Amino acid sequence: MRISSLLLLLLWSLPALAFDLEALQARLAATPDIAGRFEQTRYLADLDTELVSRGHFRYERDARVVWTLETPVDKRLVFTPQDAASLDGTADSGANDNDDRRRQQAAELLLSLLDGDWRALEQRFKITLAGDAEAWRVELVPRQQAIRERLKSIHLAGGRYLETLRLQAANDDTLDVAFSDQRPLDAGETTSAESADGE
Amino acid sequence: MASEPHRRLAWLCSRPLAWLWAAILAGCALLLAWQLRDGLPSDTRLTALLPEDRQAPLIERASAQLGQTFENRFVLLLAADDLPEASAALAERLNELPDLARLDWRDVDLADADPSKTLGAYRYRLLTPDLKASIDADGGATLVEAALERLFSPLGSPQPVRDPFGLLERWLNAQDGGRIEAWQGLLTVRDDTGTRRALLIGQLAGSPYALPTQQALSEQLAAFERAHPQAELLHSGLIFHAAAGARQARHEITTIGLGAFTGLIAILLVVFRSPRTLAALLLPLAGGLLFALPLTLALFGRLHLLTLAFGASLIGVAIDYALHLQSDRAIRGPRFRLRPLLPGLALGLASSLVAYLAQALTPLPGLRQMAIFAALGLTGAWLCVVLWLPRLRLPAHPATARLAELLWRVTTPRRRLSPWVALAGVAVMLAIVAGRFEVDDSLRLLNPSSPQRLAEERQVQSLLGSDTGSHYLLVRADDEAALLERLDALGDALDTRIAAGLAIDYDNLAERVPPPAEQQANLERVRRLYDEPLETLVTRAGLPPETLTRARATLDEVPLLRVADWLAMPAGERDRRLWLGHSDAEDGEQAGTLAATLVLSGVDAPGEIAALQRLAAGDDNVEYVDRVARLSALLGELRRHIAGWVAAALAGLMLVLAWRYRARAWRVAAPALGALLGVLTLFAITGTALNVFSQLGMLLVLGIGLDAGIFSAEHARRPATWLAITLSTLTSVLAFGLLAFSATPALHHLGLTCLIGLTLVWLLVPWVRPADATTRQESAHD
Repeated sequence: MRISSLLLLLLWSLPALAFDLEALQARLAATPDIAGRFEQTRYLADLDTELVSRGHFRYERDARVVWTLETPVDKRLVFTPQDAASLDGTADSGANDNDDRRRQQAAELLLSLLDGDWRALEQRFKITLAGDAEAWRVELVPRQQAIRERLKSIHLAGGRYLETLRLQAANDDTLDVAFSDQRPLDAGETTSAESADGE
Repeated sequence: MASEPHRRLAWLCSRPLAWLWAAILAGCALLLAWQLRDGLPSDTRLTALLPEDRQAPLIERASAQLGQTFENRFVLLLAADDLPEASAALAERLNELPDLARLDWRDVDLADADPSKTLGAYRYRLLTPDLKASIDADGGATLVEAALERLFSPLGSPQPVRDPFGLLERWLNAQDGGRIEAWQGLLTVRDDTGTRRALLIGQLAGSPYALPTQQALSEQLAAFERAHPQAELLHSGLIFHAAAGARQARHEITTIGLGAFTGLIAILLVVFRSPRTLAALLLPLAGGLLFALPLTLALFGRLHLLTLAFGASLIGVAIDYALHLQSDRAIRGPRFRLRPLLPGLALGLASSLVAYLAQALTPLPGLRQMAIFAALGLTGAWLCVVLWLPRLRLPAHPATARLAELLWRVTTPRRRLSPWVALAGVAVMLAIVAGRFEVDDSLRLLNPSSPQRLAEERQVQSLLGSDTGSHYLLVRADDEAALLERLDALGDALDTRIAAGLAIDYDNLAERVPPPAEQQANLERVRRLYDEPLETLVTRAGLPPETLTRARATLDEVPLLRVADWLAMPAGERDRRLWLGHSDAEDGEQAGTLAATLVLSGVDAPGEIAALQRLAAGDDNVEYVDRVARLSALLGELRRHIAGWVAAALAGLMLVLAWRYRARAWRVAAPALGALLGVLTLFAITGTALNVFSQLGMLLVLGIGLDAGIFSAEHARRPATWLAITLSTLTSVLAFGLLAFSATPALHHLGLTCLIGLTLVWLLVPWVRPADATTRQESAHD
């Protein structure tokens, strides 16, 4: 009885073994550029309150993410690996000198997560993968104590695309992002969308 | 009687004294063996040569504190194709170093202490200039947008109650100021061309001068460069300069030192044609070293490498006594007696000792050590010559006498030197020296680093935007509030000048710890910000109304950030170098005065220095300190000191010489003084500036030149004496003159002076020799 259940477990885990981080990265990389909508829920433990925001995003692999908030505030944020500067930051100078180290690290982390760049992430996180190509889950736990004091863990889940992202802070705040209506963009569409989106 | 000093020195020829001397040397050998049980305690710091700044102990303390960060730290900048992989490989190698206290190279290494924990309570009193300006302009309404972004950006980590406007984060970012960026988990910097380099910062547990540490570091770096041939490394830190200096010194000791020694052996073999004589001649050298080494070690605890190099060059001087004795004996054969030589030998030793001991009176610890080592070595060698050499039976080869005759015939001038020609020559040379003489006291002399290495150092410093702490303002005040006010005002004054085009940067403690009044004003500003703008933020973001009351409650009791609090925090660690705290009586200040430094960087033009001097000039409590200029001034002072002491010693010697030689005293002094004048003239003509090291060389020329003059006067018309003088200048040229080829500036200048000066001594002696065939002393007492 025990042996048969063990065998069953082994059989179950076989596809998971075949589906490793590299395969996942390759699967995510199959769609270079993506557009879609997001719903972001930030839970503030201190106030026991949830801040919900919605909007649309455009993700250009290895280049940048354009994050456009629609409610409750209207904001367009652009994250690139070089800096996490927001575009409308140019309007009120001084208030948005964002080329600082921590901001930049956060932007880099977000892009690595969306890229599924496990090699870069592996240096800083212990990564565990579960599920298969159609429904996968990844958990990241910081290796450094210094980071764990701020960030407990990161959970990613999805199939063809990344569908949910959950960041759990050490002070019990959480950030949940759910992606929807995702569709691939071809190169032409990227530029036209850019001009359409530009103010 | 005055005319028979050698009679009174006769007791030196007694047998028991020879045995006593042997016993003393045996004791020295035992002492040395015990001292060397753990290897030679050596020191390679060139700065150990410099005097302590006794006039201004507070400045000395400030300089030492600022220099320490630079001394114990090293920085590597790495450019490679696969930067993460290469950096990891390099870090792995560096982590194997035994003396490494810590290594920072990953982005998390610098983020490991969360400053908000310690600094959080003070945040409402700390505002960046931008924030201050925004709040002063319209109460801070423009800050609401940025606060909203923090709340809704997926990257933000908002704290609506403790810090809805992210004051602390902004403040920390403003302090961060440096050019270091996190990139792929690394710490990196980018230059103007966009080349990205990984940054690795090592902290040494021990001294950067420790040879094993230097060796381990260069081995690991060499191994890394072999494994990554395409990688490009930039180095910064004292350890690299110290290692290069030590490597160069070792290299030169083996090449120049060995060259001089081989030349010396060859010459002595050619002249005396006997290995036994050679061994006997080298015996005083060994005796001198055996006497000087343990006693110097006992006096100073450790031996400076330069002392060893310079002291070993004593070869040239110490062997002189043996040469005189042996030349005389080789030519006179069985008729040889020591007694007639004794006055000359004693005066020779006395003149050299005076020249060396003059250096021992200087305030430079390194120089004092060299002088004492040299004086002890000379005394030891002299005693070996006088007590032992006459008792050794040595073969006298006829070739020596023939050689002496030949040398005498070839080099003796046919005509006499007309005194008018000589005086005219001296006058012309004096005029040239007076007209074009230059001195150089720059610190470059002490710096053995190559220009490439110095350029690399500057490149790293500018890429990192860091400083070496060599220019600073020393600021004093009676209490902390006043000191911070003063620093703050200086910061503003510097900002005004920088805005007007002064191309410098500065590091000011008052930017991290604002004066109490400023902190109070900042708190008032935050209260304004928490009024209407906070309400707008809470409403627009849809935060619960209690956010407002709770956030405002945090402003009720905000502690004042004091310097001691800040310095105790991990974030304030970097600023500890700037804080001197209360001065005490030892600092030569009024007890209880507080002091701090404001470090300047990028100060390299004379105009910038003048601007900073003007800035400090109006205020007694502010002092502009240029460490390099200050050390240069000390070097100059030292040079004048040595010159003064040597002049005094010379005056004293002239009295002694006048007492013994009467009217012929000028003949004794002429070779030495003439050679010195010649050196100065040549320097003036070629535009070579005189520095402290060429002056040390002149001291040697003086000592050896006086020896030559004394022997020439004592035993004027004897080929044996002339042979001995020739050999002695030749060996000295080999020992010191060859240092002219050293790449270490200090040794080069010393060597060049000796090379020219000793040659001139040799050329001058035949022209000023006393005219009579045999001296009065010899005919009277032989």
